[in-house]
Amino acid sequence: MSRVLTILTALVTIVVAIFGGVATAYLVGGLVEEHWFTGASRLTNILFLILVFVMIIATLLTMAERKWSAFIQDRMGPNKARIGLPGLKNRSLGGLPHILTDVLKMLTKEDFVPAAANRFMFNLGPILAFAPVFALFAVVPAGPSVNVFGNRVDMVVATPDFGMLYVLAIASLAVYGTALAGWASNNKFALLGGVRATSQMIAYEVALGLSLVGLFLAFSSVQLPAIVGELGNAVGLGTGQAQYLWRTDGAFDLGLPAWGIILQPLGFLGFFAASFAETKRAPFDLPEGESEIIGYFVEYSGMKFGLFMISEFVEVVVLAGVTTALFFGGHHLPFGGEWLASQPLMQEHQWLFGTILGTVFWLKVVFLIWVQLLIRWTFPRFRYDQIQSLGWKILLPMGLANVFVSGALVLWDPSLRALAIVGILEIGVLMVLTMTRKESAEAGGAHGAHGGAHGGHDTHGHGLPAGAHAAHGLPAHGAAHASTH
Amino acid sequence: MSDHGKPTDHAPNPDTDAYAHESELEAHLQTKRMVINMGPSHPATHGTVRLKVELEGETIIKIDPEIGFLHRGFQKSCENVTWTQCLPYTDRLNYISAMMNNFGFLNAVEKLIGLEIPERAQYIRVIGSELHRLTDHLTCVGATGLEMGGFQPFLLGLEFRELLHDRTAELTGARLTTSFGRVGGINRDLPEGWIEKVRKTLDRGEELITEMDALLTRNRIFVDRTKGTGIINAEDAIDFGYTGPALRACGVDYDIRKTKPYWVYDRFDFDIPVGEHGDNYDRYLVRLEEMRQSIRILRQAMDTIPAGPIIVDDWRIALPPKPEVYGTIEGVMSHFKLVMEGIQVPPGEVYDSTEASNGELGWYIVSDGRGRPYKVHVRAPGFPVLAAVPHIIEGKMLADLIPTFDTINMIGGEVEQ
Repeated sequence: MSRVLTILTALVTIVVAIFGGVATAYLVGGLVEEHWFTGASRLTNILFLILVFVMIIATLLTMAERKWSAFIQDRMGPNKARIGLPGLKNRSLGGLPHILTDVLKMLTKEDFVPAAANRFMFNLGPILAFAPVFALFAVVPAGPSVNVFGNRVDMVVATPDFGMLYVLAIASLAVYGTALAGWASNNKFALLGGVRATSQMIAYEVALGLSLVGLFLAFSSVQLPAIVGELGNAVGLGTGQAQYLWRTDGAFDLGLPAWGIILQPLGFLGFFAASFAETKRAPFDLPEGESEIIGYFVEYSGMKFGLFMISEFVEVVVLAGVTTALFFGGHHLPFGGEWLASQPLMQEHQWLFGTILGTVFWLKVVFLIWVQLLIRWTFPRFRYDQIQSLGWKILLPMGLANVFVSGALVLWDPSLRALAIVGILEIGVLMVLTMTRKESAEAGGAHGAHGGAHGGHDTHGHGLPAGAHAAHGLPAHGAAHASTH
Repeated sequence: MSDHGKPTDHAPNPDTDAYAHESELEAHLQTKRMVINMGPSHPATHGTVRLKVELEGETIIKIDPEIGFLHRGFQKSCENVTWTQCLPYTDRLNYISAMMNNFGFLNAVEKLIGLEIPERAQYIRVIGSELHRLTDHLTCVGATGLEMGGFQPFLLGLEFRELLHDRTAELTGARLTTSFGRVGGINRDLPEGWIEKVRKTLDRGEELITEMDALLTRNRIFVDRTKGTGIINAEDAIDFGYTGPALRACGVDYDIRKTKPYWVYDRFDFDIPVGEHGDNYDRYLVRLEEMRQSIRILRQAMDTIPAGPIIVDDWRIALPPKPEVYGTIEGVMSHFKLVMEGIQVPPGEVYDSTEASNGELGWYIVSDGRGRPYKVHVRAPGFPVLAAVPHIIEGKMLADLIPTFDTINMIGGEVEQ
């Protein structure tokens, strides 16, 4: 019960904190536009979006991951660190003080450089791994453009024409960090890790880009703000993911929004898998592979290792942000957005409207981060060649097929409805496939060739569901088999 | 004047020559093999073992397991102490399932004496052995999941193992190094209400095993990693001296509990799971199923355990009861002789084996009639299993080494005695 309360309190705190953060970002943006110069809000956005939101979420994620994995694994998780202030003395505060202790530990550890390592390259590794992932977030819109104090404030750092191409380009830079770290350490395990990281990331770049082409075709743009779209109003219909494929007539808009996940489920799967591989987390954590080769950062200590670790978490946040903007309607509500925008209160205080939608965006991001944690803590690790064949033999052909099918459908029906129908069908087929696979596996044993069934007397004294037992497909030899070999 | 600077006949220089020579065009790229040193302290080496691995890319060309980091001189130590005092040494062989080593050793000594132990003691030995078979398999299956990156199965396994350790501690007084049992029977009876506790533990354990099963058995990544990797066929397995789950995974139906039943194993109804392919996946499945069968045996044994003495009533072998020691001269003398001189095992030699969690745990024991062993040799099931690692893994990928090393479950303590 107390655990449920803790989680609820944490959830409310998260929502309130995000709301406050977004509101501050909008208001400060409006103020600097007013007092400094036009476009100054983009500079404060750097501060707020990248340093405040991404960095703080990534920092909290170090604790969230440990806590969440603990919940999954029936443990308590870290709860020992205390703050010695009155009122806080005997509270574990959800393990939050551990973040401080971690930072202290990282910063005060010896900064060890192996004697045989190339010092310059060795120091460059963590920097190159850390910096690009931060820069990634620059093109992701985290809220609508609204008027604050009479000035237009965008909740995005930059809106270059090349949009998503910038993300793909910068994301490829991160591989230099890991490759350098592996190579410059002059350690064989690290070298293996670096080689693994390089080949894995390069292999998945292709699938990553290809899985997005369908989406670019559907929205005829590579710019994230254009893909996220703008809400319809009295003058015109919504654009991008803010448009409705089908909607009810009436003041309150209810309908099926043209979100990327509905238009491009295969694209989403490919993108999510490929970008997951780019973050180098389980099940794609081969470069680390702590039980095999310990990892490309085996020689790093203290904050240099910390940079690798935190850049992994930043990647998780950025990936969630990009996925939200591309496939989950960005900062838009699934329905009721136009109705909300037309309310007099929202018309008058547009920063409030922006804040609500901004909160929606960050909540979607938090949800996707949670999904990533769930995957991270459920699956074992791939093998090196299996990961390559997944990238080249499954994701790449899937992406190619998706491009052709999507292109044809967009040409045939520019209203995207045909694409959406195919998309929903694809989702249905995927779900059915998942279900039937499971059932057939339970019936016949996943290890097909094994065959074999248990003897009739086998269930005696087990107290186990028969289905779970038969799934083994191991021919158990009865008590009659007493013959020696 | 010497002719400095005058062009002489050099070997062809590809950097300066205009055209590369034919032979150079067809030459293979010069590559070097990488020798890496896994262990003795490496996350994937259970216990302490060093693997010298020669890699070409990610392919293992040559592997050389090197043991000896846990060598304690077990065999020699046994020669210097009485038969009973050997027990604590046997704990440290396979330290995950200590009771099986205890009972195996005692069984061999009893065979040399020609002693039949009381029925209740035999039941307790079966119960203890199966408890520790569970412990061992849980560790192995859990660690297999862990080292492939799935942390949760490991913790599920450890939760059950922790419960079992609690039960073991209640029974024997120790969690790990049990030193349980004495020549001629058992040194202490089951505690009051212990059987009920074990039943509850097993109920919870079955849930946990089912959960592990659900997380791993049909997990595509796990199946891809384990199926078809680390294969050894039945013929090679027998040649190498495989026994236990690793052999049964190859399709050989050999379990000493069935083929040569000892204690009261022939009274219980249980199955021996047998695999087919001898790969990692089969070894994993065999272990998983054996845990379920162990639970079956435990339940039957706890239902049918008879009342009665737990150790033979022979003061030349078992210590006399304390009132007799304090009250009678015969008691004092027997106690003194047993403690100071040890059990007088008749001269002779014997080989006896029991089915330990990883295979046939054999004991070759020689007695010269004094109170101490003349020679104790252990046939540790882990040794042949480890010896076959190069045969299994050479030519395969580095990542295959990890599940293979996990599922064969070599335990440092017994390999290096």
